[in-house]
Amino acid sequence: MTTTTTTPGPVTRVRNAARANWLFIALGAVAVVSLVRIVTDTNDLTSVGTIRAAIIATCPILMAGLGGLWAERAGVVNIGLEGQMVLGTWGAAFFTYHSGSPWVGILGAALLGMIGGLLHAIATVTFGVDHIVSGVAINLIGVGATTYLAEATFTDLEGGGPRQLIGLPTPTTIDRIPGISGSAADLADKHWFFISDVASFVAALTTKISLLSLVIFALVVASGWILWKTSFGLRLRSCGENPQAAETLGVNVYLYKYVAVLISGAMAGIGGGFLALVASSGFSTNQTNGRGYIGLAAMIFGNWRPGGLLAGALTFGYTDSLRLRDTHAVHSLLLLVAVALIAITVLRVVRRQIAGAVAMAVPGAALLVWFLSTDSVPRDFTSMTPYVTTLFVLALGTQRLRMPAADGRPYRKGSAG
Amino acid sequence: MRRLTKLSAVAAVAALALAGCGSSDSGGSDGGSDKPAASKDVCKTAKGDGPKIGLAYDVGGRGDQSFNDSAYVGLKKAVEEFDGSCVEGEASDGEPESAREDRLRNMADSGATAIVGVGFAYSDSVNAVAPDYPKVNFAIVDGFDPDTKPNDNVAYLTFAANEGSYLVGVAAAEKTKTGTIGFVGGVHNDLIKGFEAGYVAGAKAAKPDIKVDVAYIQESDLKGFGDPAGGKAAATGEFDKGADVVYHASGASGSGVFDAAVEAGDGKWAIGVDSDQYLTATTAQKAHILTSALKRVDVATYDFIKTVNDGKPATSYTTYDLKNDGVGYATSGGFIDDIKSDIDGYKAKIVSGEIKVPTKP
Repeated sequence: MTTTTTTPGPVTRVRNAARANWLFIALGAVAVVSLVRIVTDTNDLTSVGTIRAAIIATCPILMAGLGGLWAERAGVVNIGLEGQMVLGTWGAAFFTYHSGSPWVGILGAALLGMIGGLLHAIATVTFGVDHIVSGVAINLIGVGATTYLAEATFTDLEGGGPRQLIGLPTPTTIDRIPGISGSAADLADKHWFFISDVASFVAALTTKISLLSLVIFALVVASGWILWKTSFGLRLRSCGENPQAAETLGVNVYLYKYVAVLISGAMAGIGGGFLALVASSGFSTNQTNGRGYIGLAAMIFGNWRPGGLLAGALTFGYTDSLRLRDTHAVHSLLLLVAVALIAITVLRVVRRQIAGAVAMAVPGAALLVWFLSTDSVPRDFTSMTPYVTTLFVLALGTQRLRMPAADGRPYRKGSAG
Repeated sequence: MRRLTKLSAVAAVAALALAGCGSSDSGGSDGGSDKPAASKDVCKTAKGDGPKIGLAYDVGGRGDQSFNDSAYVGLKKAVEEFDGSCVEGEASDGEPESAREDRLRNMADSGATAIVGVGFAYSDSVNAVAPDYPKVNFAIVDGFDPDTKPNDNVAYLTFAANEGSYLVGVAAAEKTKTGTIGFVGGVHNDLIKGFEAGYVAGAKAAKPDIKVDVAYIQESDLKGFGDPAGGKAAATGEFDKGADVVYHASGASGSGVFDAAVEAGDGKWAIGVDSDQYLTATTAQKAHILTSALKRVDVATYDFIKTVNDGKPATSYTTYDLKNDGVGYATSGGFIDDIKSDIDGYKAKIVSGEIKVPTKP
């Protein structure tokens, strides 16, 4: 709104071009995956089941990344996401059990995550504690508090135990959308080039998908819109870029940072709630298993942008569910990553970025040789596939990362002089 | 700056203190007055004059409704029967070896005369600690002696888990309609490979042309035993590819495997592990739990404590297998009543030695 009225024509044009680029990249990615699927004859690569599993694996990571985005855009590094997520898993279970409604549970998860966020905000914004130290503390508190709370509150419940609470109602699932689900699934089963892969996506998005997954994807779009298209978002981001300048313009930096960190905690909490209510139908202690950190990494490699973090979370979720479902598919993944790297090489050469092109070509060629000379990937490698793939694709794909200028820096009121 | 340092130090200390409360045995001691006494942790109430027993849990701890809980059942029985008392401690994910040693030393120092380490991961730490406490008797569930020097105060309680898995493999093969069955392991280590080997061998014995789909949640990271979402994704993958019975050996991740069976719909089964998981499952899951491969950790734990109480502590290796009912299968739910005689036929052949169950896939 204010941003678009104050920006002149060329910037808008650049933005439209960027948007077209994203669409182009997404379609190109589908085409590459489709090609690899046909060449290697691994239909599980884009089967409806794989994509459904990938969506489920992506959502918690996405929410953690989104939490990171909100905090870091306001200049607060939040490595306490993991702890806030763990708090969210307990909140979801507790509130779902006592209210009977999973949506109340999700609000409870957001509330618990927000409490974690509040702790972080008090420590970092009000008292100026080092963000990393506070974040580590939040992670420890999160794990300790939920273990304690679970033992104190779930032990005697039906389906409960000192470390778990199972049999919770789950958020509404959309079983099928008449007309679309069936025909898309049929098309996906034909295994045609490109069309069947797109149909798989459509089928996975319209059959047996949790409404909460759709809410989460909507939250990504909403966060992007709020942070980049509203004056509130502009002010919030200005606190992450140059809080002193924001202060001189009358922005209440402390308030904005508090709001950002609270939202950040709530987002991570919802991610935890998703884990407890959708990804598995129950709470068990420490079920986040490092997903908060992965979300944070996806956000950083996604260049502190919603689109980038979505790509990062999807890459991770996809490869993680693929290796769990089918270890043979990991071998096809080698070719996939190799082709992706070579495609970026070509792009770099066209743009005359020779050094960048070489940096991509070498690992790309190495992976290609590996793929051609072997029939399977060693078992020890399969479990690190998601980490390595995400690292490759994102670290090499995004060469120029730019974090918010004042991210992680202490800010005291009145320091603008 | 000094103030900041102080504050962060306070925050860190507070965090550690809270984390400590949660994961150690002191957590949840108040519990609320409306709790029925039966569900209370026996170690918080037992004050008897009998033997003092230390129980060191593996990752997952009490409440995993599987392996660790089974050990707790044995401990509880022993404490109540011998009028003893007990202390508990629990391993956390990714802790260093020294943390395990410290836990055992603390138990020994607090006067425990019998200490049970639950899980193979205690093998090295018990080996290091036991020589320093010659008057204390140690036992390790699934344990082994890592060096050649024998310890005369350590008992290794091992289970022929492959034999129990063999029997549920037979059940899976006789119940499958698609000709494809699945296996989900928590961590790809030798112990869990034994489950896989027995299961596959049993299934092939009952139906030679059967296809077994095998997945592991983690390669070496022990968090594979505590990741229900990962268990669900792996099992769903197997159901999607045509399996209609999936056996899990993945500890607390197993609840995700049961969920996957529920979502896969009618005629899809999951098989539990270690304890009779039908009994602790939710109503929706119960209709999908075919059977469970039992591993009587409770019997082993109780037996060991009994030998200590009797003044003749067990040492060296004790194997629990089909012969002494240390492993077996569960019939809760009545889903395998029609094939029970077949399964018992295989059981008799294993006991007599006619069938040798492999330990490696």
